[in-house]
Amino acid sequence: MTATDLLSVQGLAAGYGGALAVRGLDFTVAPGTIVVLVGANGAGKTTTVQVIAGAIRPSGGTIRFDGETVSGLDCPAMVGRGITLVPEGRLIFARMTVEENLLMGALNRRAAANLARNLDRVFTLFPRLAQRRGQLGGSMSGGEQQMLAIARGLMAEPRLMILDEPSLGLAPKVVAETFGLIRQLNAAGITILLVEQNVRQSLQLADRAFVIEKGRVVLSGDGPTLLDDPFVKTAFLGL
Amino acid sequence: MTALVQTLVNGLLYGGILSIAAVGFSLIFGVMSVINLTHGIFVIGGAYGALVAWSVLGIDPLLSIPPLMLVAFALGWGCQRLVIQPAVERGNPVAALLVTFGFTLIAVNLLTVTFSSSVRSISPSYSFINLRVGDISIDLVRLVAFACGLALIAILGSFLRFSRWGRVIRATALSELGARLCGVDARAVYALTFAVASAFAAASGVLIGMMLPFTPAEEVTWTVYAFIVVTLGGVGSLGGAMLGGLLLGLVSTLTQTYLGAVYTNMVMFLILLVTLLVRPNGILGSAFKASR
Repeated sequence: MTATDLLSVQGLAAGYGGALAVRGLDFTVAPGTIVVLVGANGAGKTTTVQVIAGAIRPSGGTIRFDGETVSGLDCPAMVGRGITLVPEGRLIFARMTVEENLLMGALNRRAAANLARNLDRVFTLFPRLAQRRGQLGGSMSGGEQQMLAIARGLMAEPRLMILDEPSLGLAPKVVAETFGLIRQLNAAGITILLVEQNVRQSLQLADRAFVIEKGRVVLSGDGPTLLDDPFVKTAFLGL
Repeated sequence: MTALVQTLVNGLLYGGILSIAAVGFSLIFGVMSVINLTHGIFVIGGAYGALVAWSVLGIDPLLSIPPLMLVAFALGWGCQRLVIQPAVERGNPVAALLVTFGFTLIAVNLLTVTFSSSVRSISPSYSFINLRVGDISIDLVRLVAFACGLALIAILGSFLRFSRWGRVIRATALSELGARLCGVDARAVYALTFAVASAFAAASGVLIGMMLPFTPAEEVTWTVYAFIVVTLGGVGSLGGAMLGGLLLGLVSTLTQTYLGAVYTNMVMFLILLVTLLVRPNGILGSAFKASR
């Protein structure tokens, strides 16, 4: 790891009940960049980001965030340090209102102190959520629920926002909007770690990307290079 | 006609008590998916707490409710942390069920050793007063208990609906992982949920102790009634517990008046059975979780 990396993952091992989904995974995320993890189903991407967010305890390896070792800390500690995961499947609170969902994002001390300002900012970014603040989260469309999940993540004032499959199950037009939004968040200073199966569009966005297979990084490079890579072309782009 | 109205009034008053006695059970089932067999012991524990406060310290049962709720809150927190959470973390629902059963056996025996198994009751100065409205007579204690029960349910409802911790409890019930990723310590939420539920169980126990005689072994009745109320009304919703309790109160009192006291439990279980067949999620379904 170089001293300037925001996140560095070294030799990470993790899994559920004995079977390791991730074994010896290494990658780094430089501050202010968009980093993409790509790989087939079951390659270990979701496990990796859930470990980084503190939801799963790693069984080996080191995670460093902003110069400090954070391996094995729980979710409240990770959120408090500025790591927020927008999970696969969104996991919004379906029977709570949009506003209540957003308030849930602002539990850590820093976010709670800046609640009014952050709520304003999120409603400016997502006017549709402002219109529907009193509506139940589960009654909205898939695209709106994804917006809500991202907005809830933003309420925590993350320095590193991890998005796990944000385009999953969305219409192509909404997918394009979502990728535009990720670029916009990055431009506003939030470092992005993106897990995607939509390889072409995510690599176009990536400052740096890592290809994961069977729990290890097998290939890395900047976005355009990987888009031209013969392995990526055959394995993910169907060319 | 008067007899029918009298029976309906009695049924509603009794039903209000069944409702407040079931909300804690409903909350724990809805949030933690644990069938909490310790529920009845917290109810009966509340009644014995009020008995001690009244007979030893001379405190009116109604005034003993807040301090007893605090004690039950602390005991519930400890019970969840030390006894139930380790079982839940084994990921086996039967483990949690067995552990609550074991805890209850120990607690019942401790109560029996301390208070003996004789039947106790609490009769404050305003017991045995009947209010008359036309031809209908209303037992003052039952009316007071009914009102307190409704007030307690309203307090719990407001806590869950409007307070920050209530919001966190609801969110954790809807998606544990989603809540954890927001920075929620799920274990603390479960301990809090159990503690709140225990506090309301104990409060209902005080009200029950003012109305009905009790023994340590009565705890089974209140666990079972809570189970029936919650299944009937809908798991994990306060509205469901209210509706289930009132319906069950009416049914039980009507049965007692027109069929005979021996049939009440039979009819209650019959209703439970029919509900499970016709509407397994209860009348109001679940306000916390999507149907599972």
